[in-house]
Amino acid sequence: MAAVMVEEAAGFSFDLCRRNASLDKLGIKPPNVRKTGTTIVGVVYKDGVVLGADTRATEGDIVCDKNCEKIHYIAPNIWCCGAGTAADTENVTGMISSTLELHRYSTGRRSRVVTALTLLKEHLFKYQGHVSAALVLGGVDNTGPHLHTVYPHGSTDTLPYATMGSGSLAAMAVFEAKYKENLTREEAIDLVASAIKAGIFNDLGSGSNVDVCVITKDGKEMLRNFETPNPRTYNRSKGYVFPRGHTPVLSSSVKKLGDLVTVEDASPAAGELEAMEVDQKP
Amino acid sequence: MSILTYNGSAIIAMMGKNCFAIASDRRLGIQQQTLATDFQRIFKIHDKLYIGLSGLASDVQTLHERFVFRHKLYKLREERDMKPSTFANLVSSMLYEKRFGPYFAEPVIAGLNSDGSPFICTMDLLGAKQFSSDFVVSGTASESLYGACESMYRPDLEPEDLFEVISQALLSSVDRDCLSGWGGIVHIVSENEVITRTLKGRMD
Amino acid sequence: MDPGMDFSGPQWTANEVQLGTTIMAVEFDGGVVMGADSRTSTGNYVSNRASNKITALTDNVYICRSGSAADTQTISDYVRYFLNQHVVEKGAPADVKTAANLVKQMAYQNKNNLQAGMIVAGWDKHLGGQVYGIPLGGTLLRLPFTIGGSGSSYIYGFCDQAYKEKMTQQECEDFVIKAVSLAMARDGSSGGVIRTATITEKGVERKMIPGDKLPLWFEEIPVEPGFRPFAKPAEEATTAA
Repeated sequence: MAAVMVEEAAGFSFDLCRRNASLDKLGIKPPNVRKTGTTIVGVVYKDGVVLGADTRATEGDIVCDKNCEKIHYIAPNIWCCGAGTAADTENVTGMISSTLELHRYSTGRRSRVVTALTLLKEHLFKYQGHVSAALVLGGVDNTGPHLHTVYPHGSTDTLPYATMGSGSLAAMAVFEAKYKENLTREEAIDLVASAIKAGIFNDLGSGSNVDVCVITKDGKEMLRNFETPNPRTYNRSKGYVFPRGHTPVLSSSVKKLGDLVTVEDASPAAGELEAMEVDQKP
Repeated sequence: MSILTYNGSAIIAMMGKNCFAIASDRRLGIQQQTLATDFQRIFKIHDKLYIGLSGLASDVQTLHERFVFRHKLYKLREERDMKPSTFANLVSSMLYEKRFGPYFAEPVIAGLNSDGSPFICTMDLLGAKQFSSDFVVSGTASESLYGACESMYRPDLEPEDLFEVISQALLSSVDRDCLSGWGGIVHIVSENEVITRTLKGRMD
Repeated sequence: MDPGMDFSGPQWTANEVQLGTTIMAVEFDGGVVMGADSRTSTGNYVSNRASNKITALTDNVYICRSGSAADTQTISDYVRYFLNQHVVEKGAPADVKTAANLVKQMAYQNKNNLQAGMIVAGWDKHLGGQVYGIPLGGTLLRLPFTIGGSGSSYIYGFCDQAYKEKMTQQECEDFVIKAVSLAMARDGSSGGVIRTATITEKGVERKMIPGDKLPLWFEEIPVEPGFRPFAKPAEEATTAA
């Protein structure tokens, strides 16, 4: 039985699909999944690429994470902003980064952005848009700086400046108005930050802070929470304080931990062995 | 109706100072009809690692069995308990495996790292992880839980104070959700002990 | 929870990226001229206003893509891969017909799952310049010239009237630019710049005609010299002076 096997087959499992489809037939709505209704952008500048993202994650109309990370690791020189279903962007970027890491071990060369792009588009095309990841892929490799967008159906674009997500229109308006060729590092970061802020303030699906990632041929710099234009405004200096014993309790039990296991070195030949590492503390 | 609201649930986990608390309501219903008031949604994986599962009760129990099974196999092979972050990755990949036919359950994972620092995390039903350094919530009462936790939570609480905060947040939130409530259960886990308390709440 | 509110954005996950397009290719004695607009849209949003819909398959064979961006990119990726392998085995440049046949095979065998209208064109030493149209169902047709994409329906009459046999390269290029710009003027899904590729024995020559340098048609308003839609007031003042 598949469920008992430890090494289960790779790839998706479809064995609950029939059950879920029958629930669907009863008129039961499919549940909300976590989405990053997002503003993500990227721009190519003189010496590299700058990526940017907001930090709001939503589930339906609820903000479920006010400061999430949307700039995902692909390779040391390649990073990727993700929009769409959170589980898909996370897993798709994770899979491609592990493929590239193995590829680097076998070739001994730095990963290229086109390789990441091809792997991403092949995976997304295979699932015909059902894996809903919309990505802005940026990086610097032997052939220079590169910026691409990847759509859920597997189509890709190569652009000097790119936006994605529900706030892409707001962010693109900023790029179209202010982009110029051969930006300096500071100009590029400023442009990216203002594009993200356009999304944060004008798109309901985007919000909170600005994350920026600068990639050059010499490495990357992650500027997490580069700007925090939405600080908490309702801090109570003392907070709510509930005196101990305030909450009515029906029953209470305490289980002591720690001294359940004692590890002693019983082996006379222990001198030859390194001390065993044991998780339980004496 | 969404299938995630079929049985009703409310789960919170909060970080304290070198401790964490995880709490849930105890109702099991089929839509408006209450079936049980002692339903278990929070499960122990090992002494310092707990998982709460909101959503469809049958999937909650199935998933619990699968998680315990996988943790036992891990322990046999590795001769140690899973780190909370490792377990979170396991849960996430087990949920994402069923991306196109998911379990209708959203987990809340809370544990203590080997250095004694707390770890909390939640996921959606597809396994999209969300780490937090204060609190995480899940279930049909999540909207009110967000509000309650947002104002009641304070960082670096001692276990006993954390108990009061998490209990008050839970009880006040489930009062505004028809589908969850009927008392609650809280586990406060610190380096040396686990305190488990059942709470008195409204029974309507 | 009410799933009514959807922050996934205006259409872009629901809608596939479309090359709502105008593409064409014309044979002349000694080569072919290919032309395309540069608009890529998702729903009613222009997701790329300077895209390149004329993609290389080999050094001497190119493809014009219309329909789903994902589908046509995948087809060209596969065909490029197979064709390069074929060129290595053959030890000589690929025939245009071979390339067109590979594209047809992909389009025909997967026709239920694809939305792709393509034009394959190029030059080889056996048949010179050749144009092959591969419309939606996966038919393969050699034609002296062909047009495709949503914008093409606006210019069938024009092309039938303006096409002359035995045009020179320059006449063909002028014909392509005139036809594509006419389509761009009338079709909302076509626009941006015109990209052309002229493939002859000598190789490929690519050109780009910017949007403000295109010929103007009925009721179109010319761009004022020095007009910059997003110029700052200060810059405007200096340009004026």
